[in-house]
Amino acid sequence: MLNGLDIEGNSPLHRMPVRGKLIVLFTAAIGLFFLSDLRLLVPALGLAAALFLSTGIGIAEAFRRTRFVLFTVLLVAAANYVFVSPHEAVVVFCRLSILVLLAATITAATGISAFMDEIARLAAPLERLGLVRAADVSLAVGLVIRFVPEILARYHDIADAHRARGLPLRPLTALVPLIILTLKDADTIAMAIDARGFRRH
Amino acid sequence: MTTRDLVLVALFAAIMVVLGLLPPITLGFIPVPITAQSLGPMLAGCILGARRGFLSMLLFLLLVAIGLPVLSGGRGGFAVLAGPTGGYVVGWAFGALVCGLIAERLVREGQNEIAQIAAFVAAAFIGGVVTVYLFGLVWLSYATGNAFLPAVAASAAFLPGDLIKVGIAALAGRAVLAGYPLLPQRA
Repeated sequence: MLNGLDIEGNSPLHRMPVRGKLIVLFTAAIGLFFLSDLRLLVPALGLAAALFLSTGIGIAEAFRRTRFVLFTVLLVAAANYVFVSPHEAVVVFCRLSILVLLAATITAATGISAFMDEIARLAAPLERLGLVRAADVSLAVGLVIRFVPEILARYHDIADAHRARGLPLRPLTALVPLIILTLKDADTIAMAIDARGFRRH
Repeated sequence: MTTRDLVLVALFAAIMVVLGLLPPITLGFIPVPITAQSLGPMLAGCILGARRGFLSMLLFLLLVAIGLPVLSGGRGGFAVLAGPTGGYVVGWAFGALVCGLIAERLVREGQNEIAQIAAFVAAAFIGGVVTVYLFGLVWLSYATGNAFLPAVAASAAFLPGDLIKVGIAALAGRAVLAGYPLLPQRA
């Protein structure tokens, strides 16, 4: 039900370490805002699109994934066209699109387990300070993925109960039982986790 | 943090994912449909309090960042965070934090119902609207450059929907406090 957005493959981007990819993205995010020469921005946009497609994603899927964000980019560019200048609109469009495509490339070329390994490595120094426990982070992510289908099923039960009684489904009458029923499970789940000794104290 | 707090944080992040899977609610009297997901930070702060609410939204952001399609409409991944509206999504975590801080200080179990609802309204508005917009607009101004002010004006279209969400979050927060209180035992 919750499949990751990564695309399987063995391209150079897939093999690059996660930290390296993130450093490139953040460097690009800062660097792009100092760049306003279209002779550089337009080729860079082409390069970003080529990088995204090099992950093996396919054009239709690439468009489906980025269309919503690219739509907001277009809105921002349109505002610049009306209130500033056409040149500025093109610059803003290129800048933001490059950023969005690079970010989508990282998502497509990085598996969820690779991300989790990197998070565990980043958490290690914090763990020594006693701030977080890396094992807790992966336990929490696992719990979320495990419980989403159950909570969704519970929501459908609540909706059915409304229908059976001929009541309209209102935000409050659906949300409140959903939240209470879900959070009431916390004690049982916590006891089960402690009984199995998943968290060392 | 106890195991129970950890599980509450994870379960609320899962509720947040489910809110994104629900179809948008149309109320009839305002044109913008209400997507349930931006209710999440207000609910997290009002129900779990500052620390657990903040952590549950942080966990949700982590799911977005590692590439799970958990945002409404099946969106996810770094592209959403890097886009012009990414600041709002990051603002959710801090919105839940502020909302929880205010709710923890203003809401008492012995108060009458009206006072509790008023306190939850204040918490949900300052946390879920003012704080979230602050983060959203700072990133939007960075992304838009010179056309920032028109962009701010355009975002006012979402204000009526957000005010309705404040009302829903406050009533839900009060109902959960009456039915299954979690806010008084802070983590």
